Amino acid sequence: MEYLGHVLVLVAIYTVLAASLNVLVGHAGILSVAQAAFYGVGAYASALLAVRLGAPFIVGLLAGMVVAVLVSFVVSLPSLRLHGDYFVIATFGFQMILYSVFNNWMGLTDGPLGIPGIPQPVIFGWRVESHFEFLVLAAVLAAFAYLVVWRITASPFGRVLHAIREDEVFAQALGKNTLRFKVTAFAVSAALAASAGSLYAHYITYIDPTSSTVMESILVLSMVIIGGAGSPWGPLVGAVVLVTLPEALRFVGFPSSVAANLRQIVYGVLLVIMMMFRPRGLVGRYGFGR
Amino acid sequence: MQFVINGIVAGALYSLVALGFSLIFSTARFFHFAHGALYCVAAYLVYFFASVLGWTPWVAVPCAVGGVAFLGGLVELGVYRPLRHRRASSDILLVASLGLFIVLQNLISLAFGDATKLLRSGPIKEGVLFLGARITPIQIDMVIAAVICITVLGCVLRFSGAGKKIRAVADDSELAQILGVHTDRVVLGVFTSGSILAGVAAILAGFDSDITPLMGFSVLFMAVVAAIIGGVGSIGGAALGGLLLGLTQQFVAATLSTRWQEVCVFVLLIVFLILRPEGILGKPLRKARI
Repeated sequence: MEYLGHVLVLVAIYTVLAASLNVLVGHAGILSVAQAAFYGVGAYASALLAVRLGAPFIVGLLAGMVVAVLVSFVVSLPSLRLHGDYFVIATFGFQMILYSVFNNWMGLTDGPLGIPGIPQPVIFGWRVESHFEFLVLAAVLAAFAYLVVWRITASPFGRVLHAIREDEVFAQALGKNTLRFKVTAFAVSAALAASAGSLYAHYITYIDPTSSTVMESILVLSMVIIGGAGSPWGPLVGAVVLVTLPEALRFVGFPSSVAANLRQIVYGVLLVIMMMFRPRGLVGRYGFGR
Repeated sequence: MQFVINGIVAGALYSLVALGFSLIFSTARFFHFAHGALYCVAAYLVYFFASVLGWTPWVAVPCAVGGVAFLGGLVELGVYRPLRHRRASSDILLVASLGLFIVLQNLISLAFGDATKLLRSGPIKEGVLFLGARITPIQIDMVIAAVICITVLGCVLRFSGAGKKIRAVADDSELAQILGVHTDRVVLGVFTSGSILAGVAAILAGFDSDITPLMGFSVLFMAVVAAIIGGVGSIGGAALGGLLLGLTQQFVAATLSTRWQEVCVFVLLIVFLILRPEGILGKPLRKARI
């Protein structure tokens, strides 16, 4: 039961991440591979606040989101002027830079040693301790993320994002400042990713740079694409599939060393197959990257 | 002086990988990330032939280069060509190539384990003194190989009929096809020869230091950065970009610290992407088309 709870908490956290990236990939049609970096920003910001200053969970969560928004401006303002592949490369670059900062800024993050002893969250007197309680909290966060994404994408703002996805020049011709819309979408996406990171840090009670690598970013991107970019249920389906698949591999009886590689192979193969035969994802409608 | 020599050696390696990457990008029009995995495959093929099967390097190296050329062609035939024929966008090709990268890299670590392996047998040969800096024979080979490959490739592209076809496809593949160029055959040729370049680089690097399943990742990113800085699609640009990158990296290592090498490289990339996305020698990028 403990184990099942843990897997479900992970599913919920990854759902938040995938839903946040879906705003960019699915709705605005911009491919970013820096999501794990923002996840890391949120995790580190709230972990440092909690451990060094004793700040409560809610403060850390909000501070992480604010810091992530600020960092997202640094990333998006220069790089969103680029198009297509060049934007992807720019986000790769920022992902590498942020990872390197987490890994090397010993004074702040303690580098590869990580930050241990992050307290479990206390929200208005409710002490979140058991897996079940964390599951409730993570589910609330996931529901919140879904609500935010839904509100945004169903609004006039979302319609402009969709217009940018379909034809950016056309949206510009209609007088829309597309850069401003994309920068805003990027900031919202970063803030949601940071909230997932903050929850993760307080759940595991330890954070180190390995949770914000490029590979992690690619994993989140895969969740969005495999689930179905731009579709409301895509991120959830993608997160469920890609989190439970490796667990299933473990039950089949592969040793954990092999299972780690197999898991990656399976999702790599899934990516290729989806791109070849079903680019709109498992439950998608729009089709990714037309 | 030592850092200049080290920079040139590293630069030669990056140039070789960037050359193949850039050549493939200019004809197939997408970022072929699996290039980094093919790089790694070449080194492990030599390891397999030489250390496991016990062949002499004189047989093992050509076989490995042939093997990686074959695999490069296979990837194009099996994955990219069907996608291209369906007019898939470059985003789709990019995600598929990320998937391929993940699959190949994990197959290698599944087959050979994650531990570092050595290609050379016997002790490291002592480097010779050259302008007050040490350089090992294999490093000299690396520089020579890079110079030869760049010259040969430059001549082939400039003077031969095949080179003319490649340039035609790079300029406008539809027009080239209308004029009777077998674009598919040209792209296949480019994938095979690009993979050979990566293979040569990987094998030389493997003999110089050691090999791990992760070796392709960082080199690929350095090569991408080199290709962009130099100008994607330009042979001289890839060489120049590689050299510039190698020197920058070693300069940072010598003056600042090896820790911040990566950050400096990616900051350089971002600066180029913002100020001069076409690179030093590249043609100006086409902005959005209506």
